[in-house]
Amino acid sequence: MSLPPSLRASVTPPELELIACQDLVEIIPLISMEKTAFISGAYGPLRPPHRAKIPIWMAVNLKQKKKCHIVAPVWLTVEYLQDKLVQETTQAEFTKLPFRFAEISRVLLDVAADDLQNADKLRTLLKDLREARQAKARKGLEGLEHSTLGLSNLSAMEINEIRPFFIQATAVLGHLRPGA
Amino acid sequence: MDEDYFSIDAILAENQKVGCRFKVDIADMGHLGGGGERDITRSSTLQLPIWLVYTVVLSDWADMIIPPAFGSKVRNALKAEPCSVRLSSLVGAGGLWYGFGKTIMELLDKKDEMSEMLTNTFRKRLVEVIDQAQHFAALGPAGGVGPSGDSAQSFREGLDATERELFALAQEGSKRMKRWYEESEKGRR
Repeated sequence: MSLPPSLRASVTPPELELIACQDLVEIIPLISMEKTAFISGAYGPLRPPHRAKIPIWMAVNLKQKKKCHIVAPVWLTVEYLQDKLVQETTQAEFTKLPFRFAEISRVLLDVAADDLQNADKLRTLLKDLREARQAKARKGLEGLEHSTLGLSNLSAMEINEIRPFFIQATAVLGHLRPGA
Repeated sequence: MDEDYFSIDAILAENQKVGCRFKVDIADMGHLGGGGERDITRSSTLQLPIWLVYTVVLSDWADMIIPPAFGSKVRNALKAEPCSVRLSSLVGAGGLWYGFGKTIMELLDKKDEMSEMLTNTFRKRLVEVIDQAQHFAALGPAGGVGPSGDSAQSFREGLDATERELFALAQEGSKRMKRWYEESEKGRR
């Protein structure tokens, strides 16, 4: 393969972020715009003060030009995350969170912190969640087998982080079986 | 770690000699043992390279002696505490203990026991390997010294080549995550 070794094992976090930015988010536009066709589809029309759903990359762009307010997704609130954190620390399984919550929350907290309520608290909660989940992924490692791995509700970023060595480790385990 | 003809790892894993006790007399082959004798005599023991062991054992000319790297002493030590055994010193620098073990396993009649030992050892050590890899990734480029004491350092030095590779993969992955989180914290937008 022609890719450098560091890119062969898995995609990079910035690439995942790019993919996550295709997801839709609600905004309150401050400018009006006709319905516009993009490669991924047609978005708009934007009519302040009516809400509209557009891709995150577009919302980020508008936000930076101060042409919209981003409405926080339902899961990006202090109450919701606090709830999830409690579940995460009391239950054995991973709690269900949006598949790309790590990327989206990061992007939104970066550009639209002023649109989110209590952004600092959100940051700490997300960090706590991440650490709790990491501890669980580590536990999953102990039960690693050559054929299956049961870690449901893992998010894109977390899968990507453990992918390279999980693949390698399962390959080794498969290899160590008699007659393999 | 695979049987691919072109796999460098497989070649390295077989770069070991195994003791064999001959059951028959073989004339004019004494030079294989590197000694001065002309013939190989019955019940003499020779150190043979693995590629030759296959033929000799499968043709029932000799019995393989389990190499000390997988002998009862190592076996018991692994049973007691897998993380405190230095696998690399069992098979030499850059050695592939698991690969070598796999090769030996294929030559045994009772494969299950050997497989179980290898698998259990790998599994128990893996967690420690990944933990340390993530710890080192978190230290960043400046903190090169491992603060976690002698046992951790001796564990790292005792990693076999397969585990080293995993260590590097895990470390690289954690580093990338850390970079991404920090980059966006600095406000690249």
